[in-house]
Amino acid sequence: MTQQPLAGYAPTPPAARMENHGSHILKVAMASGQDVYARTGSMISYEGFVQYEPNPPAVRQQAAQWLTGEGAPLMRCHGDGLLYLADYGAEVVVVHLADDSVSVNGTNLLAFDAHLQFGVERVKGLAKLAGQGLFNVTVAGTGWVALTSRGTPVVVDCGRGEDETYVDPDALVAWSTRLKVKGKRSFKASALIGRGSGEAFQLGFSGQGFVVVQPSEDSADRLRVRG
Amino acid sequence: MAREFQRGHKARLSDLTAGTDLYIGVQITGPGLAFDISCFGLDADERLSDDRYFVFYNQPESPEGAIRQLGPQAGDTESFRVTFDEVPDAVRRLSFTATLDGDGQMSQVAPGYLRIVAGGEEVARYAFDGSEFTTERAVMLGDFYVKDVWRFAAVGQGFDGGLAALLQHFGGEVAEEARAPEGEAAEAPGFAPPAGPAPAFAPPPGGPPSPPPAPAPVQPPPPAPVPQQPAASVPQHAAPTIAAPMPAPVAQPPGPPQPPPGSYAPPGVPAQASPPGFGQQPPGQAVPGGYGVPQQGGAGLRVSLEKYREVPVGRRWTLQNGQLVRADLGVDPQPVLARQGSMVLYQGDVDFSHKSAGFVGRVVGQATGQEMQLMRCAGRGQVFFADDSSHLHPIELQGDGICVSAENVLAFDETLHYEVRRIEGHGIPGGVLFTMQFQGTGTVVVKTHGTPVVLPVTPMTYADAQAVVAWSSAAQVIVSSQVRLRRTAYPGHSGESVNLQFRGAPGNFIVVQPYEV
Repeated sequence: MTQQPLAGYAPTPPAARMENHGSHILKVAMASGQDVYARTGSMISYEGFVQYEPNPPAVRQQAAQWLTGEGAPLMRCHGDGLLYLADYGAEVVVVHLADDSVSVNGTNLLAFDAHLQFGVERVKGLAKLAGQGLFNVTVAGTGWVALTSRGTPVVVDCGRGEDETYVDPDALVAWSTRLKVKGKRSFKASALIGRGSGEAFQLGFSGQGFVVVQPSEDSADRLRVRG
Repeated sequence: MAREFQRGHKARLSDLTAGTDLYIGVQITGPGLAFDISCFGLDADERLSDDRYFVFYNQPESPEGAIRQLGPQAGDTESFRVTFDEVPDAVRRLSFTATLDGDGQMSQVAPGYLRIVAGGEEVARYAFDGSEFTTERAVMLGDFYVKDVWRFAAVGQGFDGGLAALLQHFGGEVAEEARAPEGEAAEAPGFAPPAGPAPAFAPPPGGPPSPPPAPAPVQPPPPAPVPQQPAASVPQHAAPTIAAPMPAPVAQPPGPPQPPPGSYAPPGVPAQASPPGFGQQPPGQAVPGGYGVPQQGGAGLRVSLEKYREVPVGRRWTLQNGQLVRADLGVDPQPVLARQGSMVLYQGDVDFSHKSAGFVGRVVGQATGQEMQLMRCAGRGQVFFADDSSHLHPIELQGDGICVSAENVLAFDETLHYEVRRIEGHGIPGGVLFTMQFQGTGTVVVKTHGTPVVLPVTPMTYADAQAVVAWSSAAQVIVSSQVRLRRTAYPGHSGESVNLQFRGAPGNFIVVQPYEV
C-alpha cells in the first residue's frame, strides 16, 4: 500500500511539552513526574507507556461542585510517551502560562499540566444562568494549558476604551482573570438575543485583559456524554 | 489559517508565524514542462556573492545547513527547509525561483503555489497560474528578505532568458530591477547547470527525508535518527520537517508559545525520548533542555494567543477569520440586521432589539412555521457575528442583486432592500423554498457549512434545493423533477429527484455548499 497521500500527516518530533498536530489534535510529550490533567474521554491515541487515573482525589475535591457532581470530568495521565488528545474536532489552542493565570470555560478546557494550580468556580452573580450556572476553571502558575474552541477563535482586548465588552456566554472560551465579570440581562420587551431561549443575557467584562471567543454558540459538552 | 498572498504582497515573517524554522514548498507544474526550483541566498546588494548559497539540485544545502533542499513531497514539486536563525548575516535575501528546463514558457504553467509551512501547519500561500506570466522562462516566485526583520514577499516576476538570465540578474549585471549598480560582485559562472534531469536529489520515498546531517552546532549528532524509524512508518515527513534537529531555541512551531527562558525547562522531559519505540522521535533531537525552550522571553500567554488577535478596526464589515465577522457600527451608524442569537461578542454601546416580523417574518412564518428571526443592532461599537462555526462570506452589493436562501443569511446592512421570494415545486421539502432577494448597496453576510463552490450558470446548471446557498438574482430558477416511468419499480430510487435548474445570461453564478440542510 502506498502511504504517499497520507505522508503529510506524520507527527513531527515533539518540540514542546504540548503542541498542535494540525489544528484539531493536541500532542503532549509525557514524561514521568510530569503529569497532565486531561478531560475524561479526550484521549484519541498514545504511544509509549501512559496510564490514566480517572477521578483523581485532588480533582475530586476541587470539582466537588462541578455541575451535578457525578465525578470530575478530568483524568490524571502519567507515564512516558506521546499522548494525543482531541475533543470532537474542536480546534485546539495551546497556551503557555508564565506565572500567569487564565479562566477557562469548563467545557473548553482540554488539558493542563498537573503542577498548575487550578480551581473550579462558579461565575458570581449569574447563578441562574442557563439554568445550570456557568462553571469555569481558573488555572494559574507556569506551565501549559490546552483549550478547545468550536471554530477559529478570536482574542479581543478589553479596556481599549471605556466601553465594556459583552459576550454571549455560550461562545465564551477563556478570559484573563484580571477582568471583572458581571452578568447583564438585556430584558427589554422583545429584546431577544441568545439561542432561542428568550432569555437575554451576556457577560460583561471590564478592566484590562483579553477575552477569547469562539465562533459558535454550541457549548454542549460532548465529552460528558460518554460518562 | 493560511494567509493568501498575491503578487506584490509583503508581510513580516513574525506576523505569519512565530517559528523561524520553516518549510517552503513550491508546486509548479505544466503539461510537458519540467522545472528546476532553486533558492538564491543573496547579499545586501541582491548579488549572489557566495556561490555556496545557490541551493539547487546539485547543491542541496548551504554550508552551515540553514537552507536545505528536501525534494518533492506532500504534493510539492520541490521543498526547502530554511532555518532563519542560522542564516548568516551576509545573506540578506533568499529568493525562490523556478526555471523551465526544456521548451516552453511560463504562461503554460498550471495553477501552482509557493507555501510556507511551520510546525506542520500552512501559514502562508502565494498561488499563481499561467495567466500571470507570458513568455518568461524563469520566475522569481517569492523572496524572504531582511528589512529590520525577516519578511516575505510574493514576487512572481520573471525573465525570458531562463536560468542564465536569472543568474545574470543575481550575478552582477544590472538587470531591470537593479537596485545596486556595482557589478563586481561575484559572477556565478560555475553554475548555469546543464539542463539536467530534474531533482537528482529526491529523497527516497521510503526514507524519512527530514534530518539530513546535523546542521546545528549545538546539536549532538543525532544517533542516527533515520534508521531508527521503523520502515513501516509513514514514508515522508512531508511538511512537518520543521521540528527536525535544530538548536534548542528554534524548536518553535507557531502554536506553542515562547516560554520565558529557563522558567520551564523540564529536566525530565528529554529523557522521555529514551524508550526506543517512538518512531518519530529520534533521541538525538531531545537536546537537553530543548523542549519548548524559549526563544524569547515574552509573556507566554499573549504570544500564543497572538495569532487569534482581533484584526484592526477600519472597515464596516471585516472578516475576522473564516467563521467570524465583525460589523463596526462606529464607521457608519447605519443599523445592521442579523439573525437572532448570532451575536457572540460586542464592545461599546450597542442596542439589540427584536426586528418586528414585518414581511419576512410573516411570510416565512406562516408558510413553514420556521420564522426567520431577525434582530436589529444599532448604536456605536463593534459586534462580532458567528453561527455554529459555519463559514462566512461577506458579499458586497453595489447596486446589483443576489438571492440567498433564507437559512443562509447571517446578517446584512439595513440599507439593503430585501424581499422574500418563494420557490414552490412539487417535491421540495416543506413544499416551498424561501429565498431573500437583496438589492441595493451594502453587504450581506452569507453562511455556508463547509467551503462552497461557485458555479457559473450554463444551460445545464442544476443544484440540490437543500444545498444551494445563493445565486445572482438575474438567474432564473426552474424546478426540475426527474421523473422516470419505472420509478415505482424501484422503491429505493436515487433520492435526488428534485433539483433546481438555473438559467441565465453568462456572468451569473450560483453558490452551493457541501451540506444539505
